[in-house]
Amino acid sequence: MARHLIIGGGTAGLNCIRTIREEEAEPSEVTLVSAERPYSRMVLPYYLGRSIAESHVFTATPASLAAWKVKSLLGRRVTRLDPGSHAATLDDGATVEFDDCLIATGSRAAKPPVPGVDGPGVHCFWTLDEARAVVAGVTPGSRVVMVGAGFIAFTILNAILSRGASLTIVEVAPRILPRMVDAECASIVERWLTARGVVLRTGATLTAIEEARGKRRLSFRSGSPLLADVVIMATGIRTNLEWLEGSGIETSTEPGGGIVVDDRLRSSAKSVYAAGDVARGRNLLTGALEVHAIEPTAQEHGRVVGANMAGRDVAYRGSLVMNIVEVAHLDVASFGQWEDPAAEVYTALRPERSQYRKLLFHGGRLTGAVICGPASDIWTTNDVGMLKGLVSSGVDLAGWKAHLERNPFDVKPAFLATRTVSQLLPETVLGRPSHSPQLPQSVVMK
Amino acid sequence: MKILALHPDKCTGCLRCELACSYMQTGSYQPSKSVIRVSPLEGYTSYAPYTCTQCMEGWCMTACPVGAIRITAAGAKDVMDDTCVGCKLCTIACPYGTMFYDADTQKAYKCNLCGGAPACADACPTQAITFEDVESADWIGDFAAERTAYVLRRDGARAGVA
Repeated sequence: MARHLIIGGGTAGLNCIRTIREEEAEPSEVTLVSAERPYSRMVLPYYLGRSIAESHVFTATPASLAAWKVKSLLGRRVTRLDPGSHAATLDDGATVEFDDCLIATGSRAAKPPVPGVDGPGVHCFWTLDEARAVVAGVTPGSRVVMVGAGFIAFTILNAILSRGASLTIVEVAPRILPRMVDAECASIVERWLTARGVVLRTGATLTAIEEARGKRRLSFRSGSPLLADVVIMATGIRTNLEWLEGSGIETSTEPGGGIVVDDRLRSSAKSVYAAGDVARGRNLLTGALEVHAIEPTAQEHGRVVGANMAGRDVAYRGSLVMNIVEVAHLDVASFGQWEDPAAEVYTALRPERSQYRKLLFHGGRLTGAVICGPASDIWTTNDVGMLKGLVSSGVDLAGWKAHLERNPFDVKPAFLATRTVSQLLPETVLGRPSHSPQLPQSVVMK
Repeated sequence: MKILALHPDKCTGCLRCELACSYMQTGSYQPSKSVIRVSPLEGYTSYAPYTCTQCMEGWCMTACPVGAIRITAAGAKDVMDDTCVGCKLCTIACPYGTMFYDADTQKAYKCNLCGGAPACADACPTQAITFEDVESADWIGDFAAERTAYVLRRDGARAGVA
C-alpha cells in the first residue's frame, strides 16, 4: 500500500488529501502531521467579528479525518526530513516513513525587530491562537492600533469596526495596500476609510512599543506617539521552511524564497512535493517561478499534488495572483501583473462614486487589472469575475482595446463578444469535472 | 443533466426572468438580486440573458475555503447559507462573473437551477431561456460578437480609423 505523508493541515494539505481519496484506484495510507488542528485562515476575520462561532473555522475534525482514513498526528511538527531514506522525524522523536511526501507548512506572521513587539497586548493575527487573543482583547470602545496596511490588515478591518472598537492604521510605506493596488486606487480607499472614522497614518516608522499604565504606547521616527489598548502587528509573513535545513531540498535564494517546484509541484527530490505558501511555482501569465502566498494557489497546488500522488500525471498551468478584500463595504481587488511598467495601461476613475478601474495589456492580451467600487454595486462583483476570466484565459481583446480605453468599466460586452465563455468551458485544474467537497463515495465504501 | 440553454436571438429584453429569479432566490421582486442578467448589446436594441453555466471545474466550489458550495441533486453548484461566511473568494475565483454577493445577508449566492425547476425559463415568454438536457455552451458569444460589431465600428470611426 502506497504511503503518503502530508506535512501541514492547511488549505494545500487538506485539498491534497481529499484529491488523493477522489483519485486513487487502490487504497493508500495517508498520514497528516500538523502543528495545529486544521482550520481555515480565510474565515478567522469572521470569527473575530463574531459573525461565526469558533467551531465554524475548523476544516477537519478528528472524526472527519478518521472517516477519510487519515492517520492524523495533530500538535506534532516534523523536525527533519530525509528524502533519501524516505523518512521524517517528528518533534516527539517518532519516525514516519513514506513513499511520497507533501510539504505544506505555510507561513507565519513576521514582526519587525522593534523593541516591545513581543510584549503584552501586542498580537499578530495569523493563527487561530493569535486570533483568540485578539478576540479577547478587542472589545467595544477599545482603541486598536494596527501596524501595517496590507491585505492581511484589511481583511480584519471590518471585524474590528463591527466590535465597536476605534481603529488607527499605521503604515511604513507612503500609502496603504502597497503590494495589492496602485497609488490611485489606494487614495480612493484612504478617502473611503477616513470618511468612516478610520485614522490612517502612512510613512510612519514604528520605533518602539512600551507599556504605559496598562496601555501600549507606540513611538515613531517622526510624529506624536499613539496610545492603544490592543496593537495588531500585520507586518508581513515568512514561510515556515527553517526545519528543512539539511534535507537537501532546493530552496530559492531569490526574494520570496520558497521550495523550487516543477510543473507537477515536485521539489528537487522526486518523492517530495511542495504546495501553497512554501512552494515557488509557475506564474500562469509569465511562467516565472514565484511564491504566491494566497488561498487559491494553495488550493490548486494541493489538488494537483493529490492527483499526482494518487498515480495520475497532472501538470499545473500556473497560478494567477489575485486578491480581493472588502473594507467597510468597498470592494477592492487586483489580478495578475497589475504593476507592470512595460504594459499598456487604461484607467478610469469616478471619484464621486469611489469607482476605479485599471486594465493592463500586452498586445491584445489583458495581463492585469485593478478594480475598486462600492460592494452594493453588483457590477463590481460581476466584473471582478469576468476580468479574472479575461486574464486567465488570455483571449485576444485586440478588437476591443479602443473601446476599453474609452471606457474601462464596460467589460461585459468585451468578455461576451470575444467568446471568452467558450475558452473557459473546457478548462479544469485536474482534467476532469470537480467533485462536491463532501467525502467521496470510494472512501465511504472501502 | 438539464441546464439552462440561452437563445439570445429570441430575447426581447422584457426582464421577466430577472423578476422571477429574484423572487425565487430572495423572496422579493428585486431584479437587482437576480442571478440571471439581461444585458443590452449594440446600443440597447439587442438583448441577451446571461447566467452561470454550472461549469465542469466549479471554480466557486473549489475556491470556497469552508466547503460551502456543493453540487445539489439537480446537478447545480449551490451555496449552503449556514456554511458560507461571506468572504467573497468565490466571486474572484469564478471567471464567468456569475457569482453574486448579497449585502443584506452577507452571503454569496448564485444560480442553483431553482432546485430543478428554474423560474427564469418558466417566466420567459419567448423561450429565450429553456431548461434542457444539453451540454453547457457559449450561448451568447456569437450573438454578442455580431451585435457589438456596430459599437466597435463606431469606436473606430471616432478614433479616426475606418
